[in-house]
Amino acid sequence: MSVAKRPADPKRKAPKGAARSERNWRHPLRSWLGSHRASARQALHQVRSYPFSSVLTVLVMTIALALPMGLSVLINQVEQLGVNWQKAAQISVYIEDGVSKERQQEQLAAIKTLSGVANAQLLDKELALAEFQQHSGMGDALLQLSYNPLPSVIVVTPSSIEGGAAALEPLRDRLAAIDGVEQVQIDLLWVERLAAILGMLERFTGGLGLLLIIALLLVMTNTIRLAIESRREEILVVKLVGGTDAFVRRPFLYIGVLYGLLAGVMAWLLLAAGLAWLNVTVQQVASLYQSDFALIGMPWPDGLTLVMGAMLLGLVGAWLAVGQHVRAIEPS
Amino acid sequence: MIRFERVSKRYPNGHQGLDNLDLHIRSGEMVFITGHSGAGKSTLLKLIMCMERPSSGAVHVGGQNLQELSSDDIPYLRRQVGVVFQNHQLLFDRTVFDNVALPLVINGTPPDEVGRRVRAALDKVGLLSKEGSLPIALSGGEQQRVGIARAVVHKPALLLADEPTGNLDPALSAEIMALFEDFNRVGVTVLIASHDLPLIAKLDHRMLTLDQGRLITDGE
Ligand SMILES: Nc1ncnc2c1ncn2[C@@H]1O[C@H](COP(=O)(O)OP(=O)(O)O)[C@@H](O)[C@H]1O
Ligand SMILES: [Mg+2]
Repeated sequence: MSVAKRPADPKRKAPKGAARSERNWRHPLRSWLGSHRASARQALHQVRSYPFSSVLTVLVMTIALALPMGLSVLINQVEQLGVNWQKAAQISVYIEDGVSKERQQEQLAAIKTLSGVANAQLLDKELALAEFQQHSGMGDALLQLSYNPLPSVIVVTPSSIEGGAAALEPLRDRLAAIDGVEQVQIDLLWVERLAAILGMLERFTGGLGLLLIIALLLVMTNTIRLAIESRREEILVVKLVGGTDAFVRRPFLYIGVLYGLLAGVMAWLLLAAGLAWLNVTVQQVASLYQSDFALIGMPWPDGLTLVMGAMLLGLVGAWLAVGQHVRAIEPS
Repeated sequence: MIRFERVSKRYPNGHQGLDNLDLHIRSGEMVFITGHSGAGKSTLLKLIMCMERPSSGAVHVGGQNLQELSSDDIPYLRRQVGVVFQNHQLLFDRTVFDNVALPLVINGTPPDEVGRRVRAALDKVGLLSKEGSLPIALSGGEQQRVGIARAVVHKPALLLADEPTGNLDPALSAEIMALFEDFNRVGVTVLIASHDLPLIAKLDHRMLTLDQGRLITDGE
């Protein structure tokens, strides 16, 4: 009999009994798979033998996952809405009264050639009046006027509003310098406000997510620590008959991954259901604003990321726990 | 097979487990270790299993100086030893079969071979019909035999037992000892710590006597 460091080199092992147990090592893959299967089965067994605390752990993890993920999905989709609004962001170029129609066409042509201009449209004062009458509900009042108080406007769509109003200043100056232009108005405030609010919410969600991930790791670590304690006797016996630390650890790592998987899937379902429920209200509100905006629900790549991330967190939490506790349990 | 060279073991609380012990046990021997409670019998077995480390001196098992083993190597040492320890008994939430299979599962034996070997071991201790039972449903003697089946299922070259008949009546104790003799007959080195002198005296094997950590008779 002699002692080998690793099963990898059966030849190193010398006489007698050792030679007999060599056999097992002829099937390294099978035995590896077999022992993983055993660990997975043990993990399931453990989860099933403590149904109440298992369910509780999974629920806490579910909430810790669903909260930041839900917020982040919501913010993403509202951002999407912001992008659409940004596309509609416009600069209004008011034309001095008395500029001829021909001159207005020249101005339009000149504006279209400016860099930074994606599109420009002339809305002459008659058209503007007609539109105003139609939409403002003040049509009759305007009909009382003997003249058209509205100016002609060239509506300019900037090719980019990256950087906000400040970045559009040079374009505004160039537009204002055109002969016969009375005033140039950039109305980006609301886009900037939305961006600022979303940015703040994103930070908030990031911070919340970080806190909840830490909480989740603590819950996981504590659950695994209790699981280890509850199997103390078994660990002692396993170590006594030659179980390596890795072998002892493995079922607990499986438990971590299993909890992660369950919590991830639960959080996904919860978010999918929650977003669908929220969507009913969102669509109602949006329709009041003549918008067909709707939440697109839980995108499945996000769902997969959620589940994978949850499994990884479960693994990390379990790893932290077994690292501390398994080595400390030694037969004596 | 086993060699102790001036081995002393002093526990952190100051108790002397073993005191300057020299000992040689050859492959294939069957040896009893006796002595009063506290004489150091369990300490001796624990040193062989690397459950304790000597304070001084060297322990060799199978030609390997245990001092040179790192903690990562210890499981591989233990896989080649079968142990029947009083306080490390069966797992009560597992069937007899699963208890006995443990050493095989640990060393990655393929499932079909696990089944074959577990049944062979249970057959040897006369408990083949109990493989599906939970240990709680067994008598004390049967539980001890399940422990023995677990200790031999992976065919170790060395079998250690610490007070294996501790809680059993004389008839059952004799049965258990007969089992150990059977294993010894097929070449397994057997080392049994026991203070059951009347029982040991009936059996014709080498007997070591410890007193306060010192070897007072070597039996050779
Ligand atoms: N884990 C331990 N910590 C401290 N002292 C111990 C420990 N184990 C044994 N001892 C002491 O070592 C001596 C030998 O004990 P032990 O080997 O258990 O004897 P035996 O098995 O012959 O009864 C005793 O004095 C005992 O108190
Ligand atoms: Mg003892």
